[in-house]
Amino acid sequence: MSLEFLAYCAFFLTVALTYAVIVLGLNVQWGQTGLFNVGVAGFVAVGAYVSALLTSPAVEGRFGGLDLPILVGWLGAFVAAGLLSALIGWMTIRLRADYLAISTFGIAVTVQLAVLNLEDVTGGPFGISLIPRPFGDLAGRSLAFSLANLALLVAVVFGLYLMLQHLAKSPWGRALRAIREDEMAAEALGKSPRRFRIEAFALGGAIMGLGGAAQAHFIGFIAPENYLPMLTFQVWAMLIVGGSGNNRGAILGALLVWALWAASSALVEALAPAGEQARAASLQTVIIGVALCAILLFRPQGLLPEPGGARRRLPFLRRWRGTPAATTGSDRT
Amino acid sequence: MSGQILLEGLLAGAMIGLGAVGLTLTYSILRFANFAHGELLSWGAYLSLSLSLAIGAVSGASLAPLDPFSVSAALILAGLLAMALTAVLALAVDHLLFARLRGRGATAIIVVMASFGASMALRSLLEFLYTSKPAYYSRELQIAMPLPGGIRATPDQLLLIGLAFVAVIAVHLLLTRTDLGRAMRAVSENPALAGVVGIDTAKIVRAVWIIGGALACTAGTMSGLLVQIRPYMGFDLLLPLFAAVILGGIGSVPGAMLGGLIVGLCEALAVQTIGAEWRAAVAFAVITVVLVLRPTGLFGRAA
Amino acid sequence: MTAAVSAASSAPLATRGLVAGYEPDLPIVKGIDFTLAPGEFVTVLGPNGAGKSTFVKAIAGLVPVHGGTLHLSGEEITDEPRHALVRKGLAFVPQTENIFATLTIRENLQVAAAILPKAERQQRINAMLAAYPDLASRPGAIAGGLSGGQRQMLATARALLVEPKVLILDEPSAGLSPKAVSEMFARLVEINRSGVPILLVEQNVRAALAIASRAVILVDGLLRHDAPAADLAADPDIGRLFLGAHADGAALAGEGTP
Repeated sequence: MSLEFLAYCAFFLTVALTYAVIVLGLNVQWGQTGLFNVGVAGFVAVGAYVSALLTSPAVEGRFGGLDLPILVGWLGAFVAAGLLSALIGWMTIRLRADYLAISTFGIAVTVQLAVLNLEDVTGGPFGISLIPRPFGDLAGRSLAFSLANLALLVAVVFGLYLMLQHLAKSPWGRALRAIREDEMAAEALGKSPRRFRIEAFALGGAIMGLGGAAQAHFIGFIAPENYLPMLTFQVWAMLIVGGSGNNRGAILGALLVWALWAASSALVEALAPAGEQARAASLQTVIIGVALCAILLFRPQGLLPEPGGARRRLPFLRRWRGTPAATTGSDRT
Repeated sequence: MSGQILLEGLLAGAMIGLGAVGLTLTYSILRFANFAHGELLSWGAYLSLSLSLAIGAVSGASLAPLDPFSVSAALILAGLLAMALTAVLALAVDHLLFARLRGRGATAIIVVMASFGASMALRSLLEFLYTSKPAYYSRELQIAMPLPGGIRATPDQLLLIGLAFVAVIAVHLLLTRTDLGRAMRAVSENPALAGVVGIDTAKIVRAVWIIGGALACTAGTMSGLLVQIRPYMGFDLLLPLFAAVILGGIGSVPGAMLGGLIVGLCEALAVQTIGAEWRAAVAFAVITVVLVLRPTGLFGRAA
Repeated sequence: MTAAVSAASSAPLATRGLVAGYEPDLPIVKGIDFTLAPGEFVTVLGPNGAGKSTFVKAIAGLVPVHGGTLHLSGEEITDEPRHALVRKGLAFVPQTENIFATLTIRENLQVAAAILPKAERQQRINAMLAAYPDLASRPGAIAGGLSGGQRQMLATARALLVEPKVLILDEPSAGLSPKAVSEMFARLVEINRSGVPILLVEQNVRAALAIASRAVILVDGLLRHDAPAADLAADPDIGRLFLGAHADGAALAGEGTP
């Protein structure tokens, strides 16, 4: 086994772990709280750009470039994405559930547009380069550099995992679960479902922002096309495959789907004729889209089911005597 | 606002409104936000394209445009066939995916997520079949005619505005004057009670997909005629469609059309005052304002 | 058993060993044998949570049936889809949300009339409007704006429009003013006299016993008592035994509240 291969493995794992951070954030929103975010890419982009602006060296004619330490950038990413999430949550969480989905979809479109158009801040279509990379002084020795970054990401993911596990068992996490299982009962116990949901949505969004920052710093370069709806789609596939509600499932899903994605991309590159690469890549997306639907249909719990096995019991549409219908007046007199 | 901006806004708004009418119907009767609705527009546009080429290849002569429009008889026939096929596509997706999830008692948001996956798959399938290169129904260049008030418009543009309004009025009459329409409104309000009074909800669901698919195909083909045909055309329209639906009030057909016109006019105004590059953000701004000020929309009922 | 089955084969409505509930493992109705004879007016009584509503909702196809059978005029309807029941002559008036609030009064009737042959529809709608002058005065009004009593009228009119063989009502008096309740009950008697058998779930025990011919009492999902309404009204023990220890006095005194 050559050193290059080892370095490549470390590189691959590091990228996968940056996705794991994002998936953990989505798991707080969806897995723990049942909030559907269709704009993951937008929150990741906010984190990436905020951190890049705080830490990259100054560039003439562009705002930002404050050259601050990486840690400050990551904190900024966490806070900025969290604030944006809190705002969206405040606006829509009191309304019907799919309004949140539509709003997050809208925010992702708008963020994409903003990073593309605000050239004076974001560099427009050219993006931002020279984002400082952790352990940048090791850059000459690729194996050491890769391993150091891998260690850093392992530490970040592990730390997040411990924090989220602890949080799930805390009174806050229990209240969140209670609200998800039975909103009326939780409300009767004096929990404000809306406040808890906004908090969970903000925390999840903040973690996504952190993931975006980690990714930006590891690659060293960001551009608007990194944050297309495809990213949202990949992150969702990771969570659904791994098992929503389960933090270990979220991490496993990130590794697995990223491996599948990378492998199938390599396959496309190797097999498709030069002129047909784009077409073959779209077929790859078709298959992943169909697979996502198939998992929702046939194994909605994913690879690792939610601990405790508590499935969602919201009887939105039911079937009996052949016709689907919403329940009305469930009084039992 | 100058007359020309008004016309641009009306055009965009008519297309958005037409797509939004189908979306608001499926939204209110099936009770989920269908993220794959945009792909029904794109598929409709591509089906019209392929069928018009096929019809042209078979019959030869009918490709000639019908003066003064750039539309050929072949395209009109193809559009009608494509409406039927898009309806079939919508029924097929429902049968394979949404109906199964509904039957299993999945929550609305799971169905929304499935529609998100379906949207990705359907869009990429178009990209695979047709590549992402833009296509056109006709290479015919149209001369804009001067209208009163210093406005210039092509015959196609006027035709499409007219057609959109005819379609929306037809759907409105269907909903208010026919048994099917009344049954659809009844299911939308209370599916359980609708069953009690003898309405077969499964039949209504099929009718909604057929109408929604046919309208999506019309909107997609129009958009393709006015601008161009791309695999992403429907996906890019999805946010304006949702904005129109929410602004109009979920389930309201006149609301969706009016919402579409307002979104279209706002877009035209923004293009004029802020710049074309921000057009795609207008719909989100509209959604934000509606959700903060009046979440039930203009004609919506309280949840 | 054979006697019961043959009774079921001719009766307007019958249930045999009916088990029903929202979740398969949590039955609320736990095996009920019940027969509604031609022309009868039966009221279903029982304490809160006894399964009265679930019983009639299961008959109407609104709650899943997990065991037993349902028969309508001798035909088994256990597995019929909900929308087919009204075509077979079973009309149900739910307790809440029993009209389409976003449709007009006329549209509410039109939606129900759609199962009739085209030629009869308008005539039946006119007949119902004639029977309910309150509704006839403004058929174009949105039903959501009606008062509680008017809503109940519209719901009943909608059910009668299709000339059902059996009429089932789930607590139609809930939330109505005393005057509206007595008007509605008078109308139910009239409907029953015209030959339509009625099954009525009620909290308002004294009023229900006054108009019904027979009463059945449900306790914890089972049918525990079946007697002529007059006997029950005269029996002071029944209230204490079956209608809940603290509520019975008030309930039998006619002050039962929903």
